Amino acid sequence: MGNITRFAAVNTKIKSMEGELLKDEDYTLLLGLESVTEVAGYLKERTAYSEVLAEVDTGTIHRGMLENLIKQKMVKSIDRIIHYFTGDYKSFVKTLYAKYEIEELKILARAVYNGKDAAAFRNNVFVGKHSRIDTSKIYEAKYIRDIIYALQGSEFYKFLIPLVDGDFSENPFRFEMVMDMSYYSILQNKWSKLEKRDIKALEQAQGIIADLLNIQWIYRGIKFYRLSPEELLNYTINIGYRMDFNMLKTLCYSKSLEEFNRIVKSTRYGFMLKHDGTTDIYMERRMERYICFELKSMMKNNALSIISAFAFIIFLQFEVKDIISIIEAIRYKVPADQAYKYIVRKI
Amino acid sequence: MAVERMKITSIIGKLTDLDKVSRLIVINGSTHILNAISELNSNNLNLSVPQKHMQILQELVNIKPYISGRDFSGGEGIIRLFEDLFNLKLKICEDYLCVDDEYENTMAELRKVHEDVRHISEDMAERAANIEKLQQYLNNVSYLRNTDLRLEEINNLNFMKFRLLMLSNENFKKLKLNIENVPAIIFQAAVFNGNTVIASITPKSLEEEAERIFISLNYKELELPQEFSGTIEDVINQINAKSSNEKRQVEELRESVAEMSRTYSDTVFKAYTLLELEKKAEKLKQETALGSSMFFVFGFVPESEVEGVRIELKQYFGESIIFIADDVEDKRLGNAPPTKMKNISLFKPFESLISMYGMPSYGEKDPTPFFALSYMLMFGAMFGDMGQGLIILLAGLLISYRTANKSFGGILTRLGVSSMIFGALYGSIFGSEELIGALLIRPMANINTMLIGAIVLGIILITISYMYSLLNHYSSGNIEEGLFGREGLTGFLFFLTLVFGALGKATGELTVGIGLPIGIMVVLLLIMVFKQPLAGMLTGRRLYEDSPGDYYIEAGFGVIETILSVASNIISFIRVGAFALNHVGLYIAFAAMAEMLNSKTAGIMVLIIGNIFIIGLEGLIVFIQSLRLEYYELFSKYYSGYGVEYKPVGLFGKGDSGNEMV
Repeated sequence: MGNITRFAAVNTKIKSMEGELLKDEDYTLLLGLESVTEVAGYLKERTAYSEVLAEVDTGTIHRGMLENLIKQKMVKSIDRIIHYFTGDYKSFVKTLYAKYEIEELKILARAVYNGKDAAAFRNNVFVGKHSRIDTSKIYEAKYIRDIIYALQGSEFYKFLIPLVDGDFSENPFRFEMVMDMSYYSILQNKWSKLEKRDIKALEQAQGIIADLLNIQWIYRGIKFYRLSPEELLNYTINIGYRMDFNMLKTLCYSKSLEEFNRIVKSTRYGFMLKHDGTTDIYMERRMERYICFELKSMMKNNALSIISAFAFIIFLQFEVKDIISIIEAIRYKVPADQAYKYIVRKI
Repeated sequence: MAVERMKITSIIGKLTDLDKVSRLIVINGSTHILNAISELNSNNLNLSVPQKHMQILQELVNIKPYISGRDFSGGEGIIRLFEDLFNLKLKICEDYLCVDDEYENTMAELRKVHEDVRHISEDMAERAANIEKLQQYLNNVSYLRNTDLRLEEINNLNFMKFRLLMLSNENFKKLKLNIENVPAIIFQAAVFNGNTVIASITPKSLEEEAERIFISLNYKELELPQEFSGTIEDVINQINAKSSNEKRQVEELRESVAEMSRTYSDTVFKAYTLLELEKKAEKLKQETALGSSMFFVFGFVPESEVEGVRIELKQYFGESIIFIADDVEDKRLGNAPPTKMKNISLFKPFESLISMYGMPSYGEKDPTPFFALSYMLMFGAMFGDMGQGLIILLAGLLISYRTANKSFGGILTRLGVSSMIFGALYGSIFGSEELIGALLIRPMANINTMLIGAIVLGIILITISYMYSLLNHYSSGNIEEGLFGREGLTGFLFFLTLVFGALGKATGELTVGIGLPIGIMVVLLLIMVFKQPLAGMLTGRRLYEDSPGDYYIEAGFGVIETILSVASNIISFIRVGAFALNHVGLYIAFAAMAEMLNSKTAGIMVLIIGNIFIIGLEGLIVFIQSLRLEYYELFSKYYSGYGVEYKPVGLFGKGDSGNEMV
């Protein structure tokens, strides 16, 4: 099938949905609000989030519920995009759900490990979206192994078997790492069935994201976690774009943080590290802004390709993240002139 | 041969009898249950002797729904366990159905049996697990097959640790690229399914460090057995011997189970039957309304079954149950009565095609007989061939006997017969027109006759549709649509005038000039435009239901649509003739191809392929085209399809049309 028949319709739809994303002035106004209910009201009256808030009484809404509804909007938008694809492309775009499902499952596993009731997460919107399992079992989990057994039949399961095989003790860290690694495995497997041109574009886009995540991982590993360089290296993502395995190996085996900084500074990702002590606070935001920047330029250069859908879903994710940050800032009374620094969108 | 008449039944009794009454209704299986609470809210109870039923009226003051607290999962689990263990095919046995509560007793009995059987089933499960474990060992050990290692040696190293691990290929690659930093010696043993099996040898002092690295690679340990020793070949033989020994034991256990199965399987069937009965009864109870000491159940029962229900209730409960059966024609609100179609077996399979469009509403004429006859007629006319018809007939028989889809098989069977009859009329066997003579007509030699014949058929079918429509409007007393509407008398007269006007003009027998029929048609159209006020004048009700402006805009467009659709509906039927020709034409194309080939066998091959192609593709097209003519050209005239299917609560799915049709 030609690119035009495959992408013309969906990219037009995406263009129109991009128009529904929040504007800069929405951000400014939202940051100026005083309470969670005001945010809900604003989103309901003035933005495309009215779709999920229409039936809700925004006067009495609480934070957790609002966050889930905002994520619900993301699901609706992604479902709309999936609708336009067929065959391998459809199954690739569906796989993008896995990332968000993994995020929710990781938080859930951590909570279960700490003895909390899994049922409290019942309103999670992404659980089950990719795994297609019976979610009720997940929410009955008492141990991490229950979550793993509940995932039987999903694509995650074969990665998780080693965790319940033999006499391993409950270990949320291993669960998190295995889930994260499984995503890239599943994703690569799915995109390998696409057309060459799209594979190349994805290798670049996802590769840049992987580079950033790898640097962040190794940085934190060296600075905060007591992991051996071998372990650090084994947990890196193997689909980097500008950082190959040897580069990562050099980073993992750097003798000190200074040496690590020096090596990263010599790459295109030097912007992640600053000497003014803001590295830890803003690293994630810097990465995310950079991802936006790279994706936008890729969208221009790859007009009729899978990149539009791939990038749009990430933009949606950032917007949702920003709204949640704004809500948190309001809830914890962070003043607007501070709060704007923590959001991805540059205002 | 119509929609079956329904009665609405009310059953009122003491709360203590609720369980038994619900079981009785389920066993009887002819009541389409209504939600009692909404029924009580929308309709008045029709009690004959109010004084006698004073108490009941008092009950009505305070009704509440039934809240089910029963959980059948325990019993269901045990029954499933026996199903697996005895290898039974569970079915409902009518002999065990019983109005009294026997479920708990039977389950208790079954639990006792379960106690007896438990040690056997546990033993079996354990041995099955053993066999699986041995199988795994066998699998793991065979990775070392090409070595001359002895198992006890590698298991008992003093300073080293030997392990077999499985990694994903990606992770193995990571390990390989960083091997200089790993405190282990690694051998690659096998690669399959995206995984790599490795043997690792680590000094015991560095074991912990190696373990952490392997964990970060998400490994899966392939365990080696401790209890065997010798060379790998020896070990494999030992494992096989042990495994077959276990298997023999399992076989012996299975035989003893088979013995028990003969004694106890009846109990399992009984428990299963009673469980299903309880579950259905529980479902029914959720639709009931409860007063402080009485319960209320409402439902539709076909007229023919009402007496049966009444007698059964009387037998079990005597006078303590009040059973009332009312006619549904009485003015009532709420749920419309459900429709149960009743047709002779020739027409029955076609009910599924009708319900695909929509069930007839209660009081509407069941269109099945007309639909079935006209459908068979049109299909046969378009696809007339004795040989191909026979294939369709055989396929239909095969489907009805081999699969659960009785109605589709039934349809194919009937269509096949019809196709064969037309095949005889056209003189066609597997497309060839040389083998037998035509009893009636050769389509290709009489193209015009075929096309005109199709139009005539269309006119006849449409006329019958108008008749149906008139009957339906008559029985529902709808004056506006029945007398003045597009599908009513006026529309019918318009249709007739158009047909005869055109006929007269074409044959030149119209002596009065074209003006007269056109004049009549204009008058009829005007009547249709003013149908609502006209009906209003006749019945003395309001002239317009909405604003006159809206009404006339709609009516105006209605006129245009009427003119277009009447003409196009008739012309649509040309396709019946056209497809009959098309059918012959397709065969001629294949025959020409066969003739072009020099070899005779190749020619025959082409004809066989051609016939398969014609049956598959042309058969499908004709099937759809006939359906289209039915749904669009004919149903739009007379059929609404807004009905609700009659679904009685019961154990055997009585009322769903599955059993007796082939």
